[in-house]
Amino acid sequence: MVGPTASLTPLARADGSASYHCPSTGSNILGSVNAPVELPGRRDALKPEDATVEVFVKTGTAPASVGERYVEGIIRGVVGRLILGRERGYARRGVVITLAIVGGESVGRADSHLTLLPALLHTALLALLSASVPLSMTFSATVLSVDASGKITREPSAEVAAAAKSIHVLAFTSKGHLLLNESEGAFDFDTWEKVRQRASAICHGTSTVGADGDIAMVEDADGQPLEGTIRETVEDQVHRDYAWKIDAA
Amino acid sequence: MSSPLVLLPGDEIPSEYLPSTNSAPLRLGPGLRLLSQPPSSSAPSHVLTATQAGILSTDNKKNAVSILSAPNRRYIPTVNDLVIAQVHHSSPDYFHCMVTPQAPHVVLGQLAFEGATKKTRPMLKQGDLVYARVLSVGLGAGAEVELTCVNPATGKAEPGGLGHLTGGMVFDISNGMAARLMRASSSSADQQDGVAGLVVLDELGKKLEKVGGFEIAVGRNGKVWVDCSNGGDAAVKATVAIGRCLTTVDQHDLSPADQKKLVSRILREMKIEV
Repeated sequence: MVGPTASLTPLARADGSASYHCPSTGSNILGSVNAPVELPGRRDALKPEDATVEVFVKTGTAPASVGERYVEGIIRGVVGRLILGRERGYARRGVVITLAIVGGESVGRADSHLTLLPALLHTALLALLSASVPLSMTFSATVLSVDASGKITREPSAEVAAAAKSIHVLAFTSKGHLLLNESEGAFDFDTWEKVRQRASAICHGTSTVGADGDIAMVEDADGQPLEGTIRETVEDQVHRDYAWKIDAA
Repeated sequence: MSSPLVLLPGDEIPSEYLPSTNSAPLRLGPGLRLLSQPPSSSAPSHVLTATQAGILSTDNKKNAVSILSAPNRRYIPTVNDLVIAQVHHSSPDYFHCMVTPQAPHVVLGQLAFEGATKKTRPMLKQGDLVYARVLSVGLGAGAEVELTCVNPATGKAEPGGLGHLTGGMVFDISNGMAARLMRASSSSADQQDGVAGLVVLDELGKKLEKVGGFEIAVGRNGKVWVDCSNGGDAAVKATVAIGRCLTTVDQHDLSPADQKKLVSRILREMKIEV
């Protein structure tokens, strides 16, 4: 299983940006965050002590449709819970997240947007981290499809997703809470429970309690946990930015 | 500090990384917040968690702890920052200046200069540069940022050099580089490998002594002003050479050894006698 690859701050003029490529679903996303920005009009008066989060998803080839509006709403809900909009300098200001789908198979009007959702969520998170927007915690997300025989596929490609009986997107915070659960298709609760366990293992790794009581992250068939990928991406960027400080120490 | 601790939002700061002196209260810098734990857990009732991704930085002298996050962000004015502003136009009470191209103009009082009175005040024209301190940033949307070139308490230009920048040339650098240059030029240069990993200024200072040295002003808004007015014939060449050195070090993140090599190479290319 080839894990996703990501890089921070590919765009020089945005406050924060990230690019994200997931080989198994074939999605390739470029995201930027501008924060804090002045909002046009009097929108600030609606929430006088909180920041306003705006999310825009742009498709690569197809004209924008209701599908993008739908995922925009989901992403806004997820990151809106994590952004600390009451920190200094953020109240009555805007956090504008723009996500462009730059590659991969284009999603048609009637297709499910759920396969793209984890990549969009990860790009939004990495761009927020790169813009130093205050967050309460981080998260990781994955998409799983269940076919008619009950087989669970991680991050399915467009063909697998089209043939699947149900598709599930789950996101977990870095503290292990279930943050998002979006499902599509017909499934029963046992299936969902299996999906949740698998998703938790993909995001956080299978935790095994060691002899000294420490919980160790181990790599299994799913490769590195997604949370580790996000942490490594950020650490790489920090080490690059502060090479002068780290080398001197 | 052995290995730097990289934190992500939500990570707790291990207590062994915090400054150990107990005399003064711990000061929290940007990127950190204090949370109280639920009463069920026993010993420590409070935890410090990060809200931004970056390196944990502690200062034992001030008993302070903060997170150093992405250094090259858009410049947002903060009180007491030193900036290089360009006058855009003037009105009866204020000069309207540009600090960053994307932000609205900031105001600088016509009398906010050392020794300025209603009769003797600097006549700044459009395009003139001033080195100024951020006096206040407004609150809320559309608030005006005010600059000053004088300490209101003493009436002196403190720290020295605030005011109109005549001659010289301005170069654009990244905000992170501006912060490093400020640290490097404000602290005494007794360290062998330079402050904040920068030896380029010390090296240029040594090599350009023969052409009369140079003046430099660093603005937190990613601008650096360089002037070699004593240089005579070589003044323009030396100014451009210093600017090239600084921008190249910034773009390529050069190590101290490479910075020294770069300085010699550029001075040789520009045919400046050293």
